[in-house]
Amino acid sequence: MGGLQRRSIARRMIRRLGVAALLLVATAVHAADAPKRIASLNLCTDQLLLAVADPEQIIGLSPYARDSGMSWAAAEAARHPALSGGAEDVMMLRPDLVVAGRFERRATRELLARRGLAVADFDIARSIDEAKAQLARMGALVGHPERASAHIAAIDAALLRARNAGSRSGLRVLAVSRRGWVPGIDSLMSALLAAAGLSNAAGELGIATGGFASLEAIVAARPDLVLVASAAESAEDQGQAFLLHPALTRLYPPQRRIVIPEALTICGGPMVAAALDRLAAALEGIGP
Amino acid sequence: MKATEAVRTAGVTALVARAVGRAPVLLLGGLVVLLFLLSLGIGPVRLSPDVVATALFGGGSEEQRIIVQEIRLPRAVLAVAVGGVLGLSGAALQGLLRNPLAAPELFGAPQAAALGAVLVIATGLADVLSFALPLAAIVAAFVSVFVLLVIAGRNAGLLLLILAGLALSSLAGAGTALTMNLAPNPFAALEISFWLLGSLEDRSIRHVAMALPFILAGGAILLSQRHAFRALSLGEETAESLGVDVSRLRLAVILGVALGVGGSVAVSGTIGFIGLVGPHLARPLVGWDPARLLVPSALVGAALLTAADIAVRLLPSTNSVRVGVLTALIGVPFFLYLIVRERRALSGGVG
Repeated sequence: MGGLQRRSIARRMIRRLGVAALLLVATAVHAADAPKRIASLNLCTDQLLLAVADPEQIIGLSPYARDSGMSWAAAEAARHPALSGGAEDVMMLRPDLVVAGRFERRATRELLARRGLAVADFDIARSIDEAKAQLARMGALVGHPERASAHIAAIDAALLRARNAGSRSGLRVLAVSRRGWVPGIDSLMSALLAAAGLSNAAGELGIATGGFASLEAIVAARPDLVLVASAAESAEDQGQAFLLHPALTRLYPPQRRIVIPEALTICGGPMVAAALDRLAAALEGIGP
Repeated sequence: MKATEAVRTAGVTALVARAVGRAPVLLLGGLVVLLFLLSLGIGPVRLSPDVVATALFGGGSEEQRIIVQEIRLPRAVLAVAVGGVLGLSGAALQGLLRNPLAAPELFGAPQAAALGAVLVIATGLADVLSFALPLAAIVAAFVSVFVLLVIAGRNAGLLLLILAGLALSSLAGAGTALTMNLAPNPFAALEISFWLLGSLEDRSIRHVAMALPFILAGGAILLSQRHAFRALSLGEETAESLGVDVSRLRLAVILGVALGVGGSVAVSGTIGFIGLVGPHLARPLVGWDPARLLVPSALVGAALLTAADIAVRLLPSTNSVRVGVLTALIGVPFFLYLIVRERRALSGGVG
């Protein structure tokens, strides 16, 4: 075990150095003329920013950045000011750069762009490659491509570990969250499952980009395993009570449930490495 | 000989009369059973009637058994129980107040019950599957109906009751939304819509176990008062001279309504207008005797809610429609019609 780990760490270091060198040459922004005051409006850009920027560069993060249920970097985010997510306080801060999600707060982003602020939009990462590309882009934007390369190398190393762990390939897994929300085939969750040699059962339910699956449809499709965000036995709202329905707990007792916290799977970014490791570790514990 | 024949004829006549009297109940009961079976047969996964029947009695594949016994059966049971107790509560309140516009939802009882439930969840005292939830809902429903009857006074006019009820239900609805918004739950909007509009989707046997005891207890209390309603229809003084303790009756009705409505709301959210519409649809079938109105009202309520819950599943929509939306779509025009009919009484001013 220890030897394997050491070897993979060594491999990671080599890769990291290689990619870092490459990106350093290619990068456009040098640390000296990188933006000094950056604000983020989106949970995912928050975490990309925290991963690669200097703490002094960050002048504000979205309100969800501190929520440890959703944000992998919640502890670090707590050290930075939380913004309202609206245009007002961002405008008052006069950032050099605003990073935001492409599919939310359109009015806010347009307002800020009209005020002459530089706004960089980030898509939702739907694959591991897109997550790596976003890390590289954020690294280039903030003038620290070497940090982005290090994270990318870590993801690559985790990918390798997951592939080795995924000996039980071909198992059909359905990721289910509150009220039966299922990420579709075209999603980061699908990519994570595929990396470990698993198939996303959302396809059998006809869910392409994410949607609600009925309890009956899940039972009828009967995937081999379900992937949930928490192992909680109590539901604090009706949406969570869905996951505790006897129909699901009967077919999917704890040994048939993979538990990966949402904070690791909502966004594409540095946490992808941790998500892959969690997935690989969970598969070790699953009986045949 | 003649005398025995006459007695026999009289006996037969009485039997026939009783049968005729029971016909609406049997008819409505049959309708509820039919809708109940239909509810078991309908869902996102298509199962033929004979598959449903075998799965219900333990045959078929494991998936079919789980779908019928653990997903559809609790939902159908809750629709009948919740609809039934709402209809019964409406009939009991109308009997108590001798007022055709009385109904738990017009008095803000379900809205208050939802607020009670949400408060318990928000303060972290209970999760959504614990018994504390119906208890809190029952207490809140009791308080709201009690307060309303105190505000309205003994011989309250229609207008006063409706206005006070509207105020209470708006306040409770706003309280529910505010509580959920203040709670650190990013999915508050969806949860608010559950508590304000109601749903029977994906209820399980745990929900049935949580609600049914209270619903049955509330229903039993309301039914036990049926003879008092008959006496009360002659006026409060007459009823008291007939030995009815009106203030005790009042308390019993409030308790029964609170138990039934509170237990229901804890698992289904606020489902409106069943309690108003149920008794009005039942009345033409059984006449104006408030004692005989109770059971048919409960059956109409059960049939209405089960039918609405079936319709919700048949509507082509990606995000399921709340059943309370449908009952309001039926109920509000009906309510307006009733107001038009009672215009004369209402225009009498606050009294």
